Amino acid sequence: MTTILPECDIPIPQRKPHIVCHDPENMVLPVCNVQTVPGDMTERGCTFAGCRGVVGGPVKDAIQLVHGPIGCAYYTWGTRRNLSDTKLHRKYCFSTDLTEESVIYGGAKKLLNSIIESHELFPEGKAVFVYSTCVVGLIGDDTEAICKQASEKIGIPVVAFHCEGFRGVSQSLGHHIANRTLFEKVVGTAEPQESTPYDMCIVGEFNIDGDAWIIKPLFERMGVRVLSVFTGNASYNDIPPMHRAKLNIVQCQRSSTYIAKMIRDKYGVPYINVSLFGMKQTVQALRDVGTFFHLEENAEKVITEELAKYQPLIDQYRKRLDGKKCFIYQGAPRAWHWMGPMRELGIETILTATTFGHKDDYEKIMEKAKPGHICIDNPNALEIEEYLVKLKPDFFIGGLKEKYLTYKLGIPFINGHSYEEGPYAGFEGFVNFAKDIDVAVNSPVWKLINHPLEVK
Amino acid sequence: MALIKQSEPIKTVRKTRSVTINPPKMCQPMGAILAYMGVHGCVPLVHGSQGCSTYPRYNIARHFRESAEVAVSSLAEDAAVYGGSKNLTEAIKNVKSRLNPAAIGICTTCMSETIGDDVKLISKKALTPGDKMKIFPASTPSYVGTHLTGYDNALRTLVETLAVKGEPNNKINIITGIINPGDIREIKNMLRLMNVQSIFLSDISETLDSPILPGGHKPALPDGGTSLTDIADSANSLGTIAICRTAGSAATYLKNKFNVPSVLDAAPIGVINTDRFVQNICKLSGAMIPEEIIRERGRLIDSLVDVHHYLYGKKVAIFGDPDLVSAIVRFCAEAGMNLTVAMTATKHKDFALDIKAVNSEYKTDTQILEGTDLYEFHEVVKTHGAELILGNSKGKDLADDEGVPLVRFGFPVYDRVGVYRYSIMGYNGSIYLLDQMTNAILGHKYDPDKLHQ
Repeated sequence: MTTILPECDIPIPQRKPHIVCHDPENMVLPVCNVQTVPGDMTERGCTFAGCRGVVGGPVKDAIQLVHGPIGCAYYTWGTRRNLSDTKLHRKYCFSTDLTEESVIYGGAKKLLNSIIESHELFPEGKAVFVYSTCVVGLIGDDTEAICKQASEKIGIPVVAFHCEGFRGVSQSLGHHIANRTLFEKVVGTAEPQESTPYDMCIVGEFNIDGDAWIIKPLFERMGVRVLSVFTGNASYNDIPPMHRAKLNIVQCQRSSTYIAKMIRDKYGVPYINVSLFGMKQTVQALRDVGTFFHLEENAEKVITEELAKYQPLIDQYRKRLDGKKCFIYQGAPRAWHWMGPMRELGIETILTATTFGHKDDYEKIMEKAKPGHICIDNPNALEIEEYLVKLKPDFFIGGLKEKYLTYKLGIPFINGHSYEEGPYAGFEGFVNFAKDIDVAVNSPVWKLINHPLEVK
Repeated sequence: MALIKQSEPIKTVRKTRSVTINPPKMCQPMGAILAYMGVHGCVPLVHGSQGCSTYPRYNIARHFRESAEVAVSSLAEDAAVYGGSKNLTEAIKNVKSRLNPAAIGICTTCMSETIGDDVKLISKKALTPGDKMKIFPASTPSYVGTHLTGYDNALRTLVETLAVKGEPNNKINIITGIINPGDIREIKNMLRLMNVQSIFLSDISETLDSPILPGGHKPALPDGGTSLTDIADSANSLGTIAICRTAGSAATYLKNKFNVPSVLDAAPIGVINTDRFVQNICKLSGAMIPEEIIRERGRLIDSLVDVHHYLYGKKVAIFGDPDLVSAIVRFCAEAGMNLTVAMTATKHKDFALDIKAVNSEYKTDTQILEGTDLYEFHEVVKTHGAELILGNSKGKDLADDEGVPLVRFGFPVYDRVGVYRYSIMGYNGSIYLLDQMTNAILGHKYDPDKLHQ
């Protein structure tokens, strides 16, 4: 058997199939994408979070209107570091702020008025995105009809997302809902102003701390025209013509493969998976795109220039980091995106975990894992603490909620969700990534923890 | 400013729009979790969707820079149809068996309240006879009130569940409301100087500001917090002082049920409000004002004298939770500042009265915005002007738009370090706040030549 029941889970044995010690002779994948054990101190979020926070939220010139009581809007106001060159989507938080009266009599009128008023106050908004929260699903507001009515009145698209928090098992369903909604209601509603044989969309790239601003120019320097980025620093108007791309590349393969597949199936646009983290994977992505567009020479030129500039810096960091061991805990894809890049820095990942990974995520992890590697599906706070204490990694790359727990245990930490001092993608971003690991691991502060206070 | 004539009657502005834009308020579970986090050995358990625990945890982590462990019953579609009783029962069982906590503090959500789960009954059934673990079944629907309502409901539930009549304990109950660990430590310091024993309802000063210890050893649940025994004993105290009136319903409960005198008064910020706090302590406990407190007060007045040339007439706008805002408004008036706009998103019956009292005493004309949002606040600030803005991190963009500094207070502050560590309460804390405000003004386009004496 390769599944494990950690000590903290003895009272909840149903966690056992979610935790696997990798044995290539007898490979087992963790059970995944199922309901959380109630009360297990999960780190998971809700479907609304996946839809509003991850996929819909980065669209920079949409009025992001949350239909529900105030909390859900507040908590997604300017939190994820999905940057853009305008401020509408991060600076402003729009909510229908439902109260008891609306829960009893319905929130339809308030929603309609809120859409119209938001448009009047912010005419620069190219569309209104309306996200339903738990209570809206329960009271049964017909948000679809209200959005249609509002759109006719204000003359810009009003898109309803049915992403009530209680649906599904994690954020993951929210990604799917956002993809499907944008595909069904937005993609194909307008044609690009011009078409070239080199049009490509970068899908599943949310411009966290400026990742897209590093990635996009790499492809442009090769002679590829980036038609849209889905959805990092995207304008609403970038989404309708996505169906006219010649190729889609998919970076976040958990949250956004859905739309790439739907576009492929309906419009015949092929897609390829890429990992734009680390030197080797970024090189591979540029080569794959070069091959597709017959721009191989251009790709090699960009690769040569980038490696000449950044590989020496990476080599320097490798000297400082060689032999270190780490944990990676991310939503899903970054867990396996980063295992290869860690090895480029001489770092071995001894434990991976994902909040909402599906079977294909765990297959990708196991392809890269060495025997003895621990892999946890939907870990909870107690499991994380137990493994940090037991295996003592040199550092942990997770999300903010795990950061201060890790610090208390005296273990260096990097925020992999919003980053410390990113961007982390592409060649240049990998140098930032290496630098942040170096800062975390080699800071003198850790030595003070065990420095004795005694009277001599 | 003292010399301004009142041009028009001060009206309380309330939002007339349907849409809320940039609300400086959160939902009830957020506040309830904070109340529970101040109880020793208590694990907060949110009965709702997973986002309802994850989002508040994120907010706590980024303000206090501490981990905040919160359980959730992970309600899903089946609960929407069949009710959430099964999930909550299982969640209680799992938290209990894995963490063995002294108590579980339940917060309900919009979902569990709308589907109509009887949380009191479910919690009662989840306990076995003779169970030592306590469960606090607070009702905190997100569509009623704000984070402050949630704090108040959870705190009252704590006291209702535990308080029992016994021998008089000669202590004062202090209801803190949502304030920082630094504030609580300062209030404790004042009580120590006055030789008054106390029970804090509740106390996050250790649980949300914990040390890193040698070896990286960390307790399963955070050290500190008010013990269940002390909460039970709150029925036997000399009196209760709520320094945040929005959190005062537990004080009223103790008064009605156990005849514990209650004082719901202004937060101790500034000279006169801190004086009132000291007087209230003396009245309830019979303590005398010690020399050290008189010297602290003197240092605050000395600080005000030192900076009055810099602050007099300076236009300030403030937003935040009502108790903190109205106390700081009075303090700014004491400093001779011209407080142009005072805004709170949480409605409270005393808020407008407090500001109007300051307006009438100091002949100021502070505009009052209640139950509205930061979009409206910004519009009013544009009209009435501000050279300094006071508020939490959500004021950053509008302060930048106005080209004025933002002095951060309240919750959450995530774009500066250490704000939770320092007190803005008591005479000492007021000095700190005063210096923050003055230095913000001096550090922002102030002619450096004028700073040479």
